[in-house]
Amino acid sequence: MNKQNRWMVALALAAAGIGLATNPLIAQSGKAEVTIWLDQNGDPACQTKNFVDAFNREGKLATIKASIRKNSWDATKIALAAGAGPDIVTTPGPGFLGEVAKAGQLLPLDEFGWTKALAPWALSLGNFDGKLYGLPNEVETLVLYYNKTLFAKQGWKAPRTMDELVSLAATIKAAGLIPFAHANAEWKPANEWFVGEFLNHGAGSQAVYEALTGKRRWDDPSFVKAIETLDKLQKDGTFMGGLDRYYTSTFVQAITALGDGKAAMKIEGTWVVRDLVKSFGAKAKNTNDWDWVPMPASDGKASFNIGIGSTASINKNTKNPAAAAEVLNYMFQPKVQARMLNECGTVPGPISLPKTGLGKVDKRLQAILAQLDKAARANSYGYTTWTFFPPKTEQVLIKEIEKVWNGSMTAKEYLGEIQKQFDLDTAAGSGLPIPKR
Amino acid sequence: MQLSSPTVATSKHRRFLTRRSVVPWLFILPVLTLHLAVVAGPAVSAFYYSLTEWNGLGPARFIGLENFAHILADRQYATALGNNLRWMVFFMTVPFALALVSAAALAPVKRGAMFLRTALFLPYVLPSVVIANVWRYLLAPDAGIPAALRGLGLPGFDVALLGQSSTALWCAAFVDNWHFWGFLMVLFLTAMQGVPSELYEAVRLDGATRAQEFWYVTIPGIMPTLVFMLVITASWSVLTFDYIWLLTQGGPAGSSEVLSTLVFDSFNHFEAGYAAALGLSMSLLALLILSMFAVLRRRGWEL
Repeated sequence: MNKQNRWMVALALAAAGIGLATNPLIAQSGKAEVTIWLDQNGDPACQTKNFVDAFNREGKLATIKASIRKNSWDATKIALAAGAGPDIVTTPGPGFLGEVAKAGQLLPLDEFGWTKALAPWALSLGNFDGKLYGLPNEVETLVLYYNKTLFAKQGWKAPRTMDELVSLAATIKAAGLIPFAHANAEWKPANEWFVGEFLNHGAGSQAVYEALTGKRRWDDPSFVKAIETLDKLQKDGTFMGGLDRYYTSTFVQAITALGDGKAAMKIEGTWVVRDLVKSFGAKAKNTNDWDWVPMPASDGKASFNIGIGSTASINKNTKNPAAAAEVLNYMFQPKVQARMLNECGTVPGPISLPKTGLGKVDKRLQAILAQLDKAARANSYGYTTWTFFPPKTEQVLIKEIEKVWNGSMTAKEYLGEIQKQFDLDTAAGSGLPIPKR
Repeated sequence: MQLSSPTVATSKHRRFLTRRSVVPWLFILPVLTLHLAVVAGPAVSAFYYSLTEWNGLGPARFIGLENFAHILADRQYATALGNNLRWMVFFMTVPFALALVSAAALAPVKRGAMFLRTALFLPYVLPSVVIANVWRYLLAPDAGIPAALRGLGLPGFDVALLGQSSTALWCAAFVDNWHFWGFLMVLFLTAMQGVPSELYEAVRLDGATRAQEFWYVTIPGIMPTLVFMLVITASWSVLTFDYIWLLTQGGPAGSSEVLSTLVFDSFNHFEAGYAAALGLSMSLLALLILSMFAVLRRRGWEL
């Protein structure tokens, strides 16, 4: 973050603080209790120590009462429908946030001053019907990870273009190894990682932007070509050794294959880094190391697709909106986000992190996040499907691609199905906000 | 004629109320209240929501029968229904054949009978999530049973059966059946013990073979249990979910999609109104099957 941006953030936070301090609700109630639900899978012990307890020591207006839920989103959804739920509502991304906002379950956040604290592209993802309902958190991107030791041994170079990627996959397969350590047995939506990457890096992120804003059809020849490339890689058995293996392998099996050198590459999000570091080197009883390059693109230019892993909002039924706002305010402070990344591995929101206090974070992850931040601020980013596509279109995209892979649908027909659902979603007002490029 | 005095009549009336009407209601009131709260109430609300466009979070918009019209045009529904029917055919044949034959074979066994019955029944009491995960590894082509068979030189075991469109559904059915048929066998075994031994002695005197004994004495003797389980199994087949979800999540390419996985998906993707309509269609199918049972009873079948 440059000096000017830091001042902007500081001013915005100070403004929010002044707003909170003068709120009559707080004046009456003193330190109010704000509830938040932590997901069991998200290292709640670490979050409690580094976020909840830290806030409870520092917070002026509120104290956080956190409780752990096995599947916090499902629990939240049901509670919200019943007019209950925690004061701080977290969702798995903008698509989900849009549905909750449309249902009138959230408090608009515009008055609390975040419009200046976060980057415009990020804020627009929380805007529905002209109001800010949620703050995007956990900014993700996907890159190409590779087994650096294996590459050095075989004399392979990390690919920079899509053609190089396809050609290298064939070389790796010919060497009797698995080109891509990909699997979806535990998480079918993994399909969309690859569809999204090939649409954005095959046809280009500008083409995807045009399609998302209705200026280009999804069955445009550029997209057809991108999906055909992905289809060829899948049909050639480059994903985990064959389509049947891709469908039945677990994430652990895939990442172990990459670490052990049985597989060479992996296209996946920043979330996988904490598993990657455990799968290489002494911890994993191998002598291999890994590295990454931006996902190869047709034009050879480095580009990063932006993904939002979660959003944070305030429940419409909260009794203490200002106190809840103080919690959100704290959550998005650069030092808190840095601490959460450093201690718990929680990927930060769309803010620039301080350069200190990240000693425990893998340098390679730091480099990815820095490049992503740079690309996002320069408006040269691509679009992950779970962040920018309407939820029903996203479902078609995830499910129907398997029909292309098993040969019962062509790439053009598949993209035609996406277009059909996209048109329906747009007509129904379910389209998500797309930041201007 | 002697008329009852008003006092006597009131007293009788009170006793009648106490004995015939009020007391039984008092006994069932707790269960009835619970049922109304957790079964009847949600059932009625599910019916209402099936007539609405609702994302599961906010207010619902009434759209009449649109969701049901959508079901009729939904290709995924047709595929899923077809898979439910395949599942039904499988479960009304394979586990029944296995259970009947095993029960008939085990019925005369005295030594170790309890051990055998317990061993065969055991999978039924294991959680589906445990069974599915164990079988996922057992069916893995590079480490499980297929790898062992390949090691013996048998061809055709180099594929992940759960990862192929042509085999995924049957594979899930195989795993579900692995846990189910033992339960069926124990039921049949119990029913067989109720068949009078004189009948067996009579047919033996007439020179019947073991197969004839089974066909002409055992099967008619356990017919009520057999038909009841067929009807219940058919109904369960419409509602099946856990093994398919745990093993294939309806894939690959929708090849093992069933109605319940569609409902689950729809709920997860903010189509709660449509999911309610899908769920209602499943209940109607299950009800149709159960009503066949009632019709057979009315026609005099001893079920």
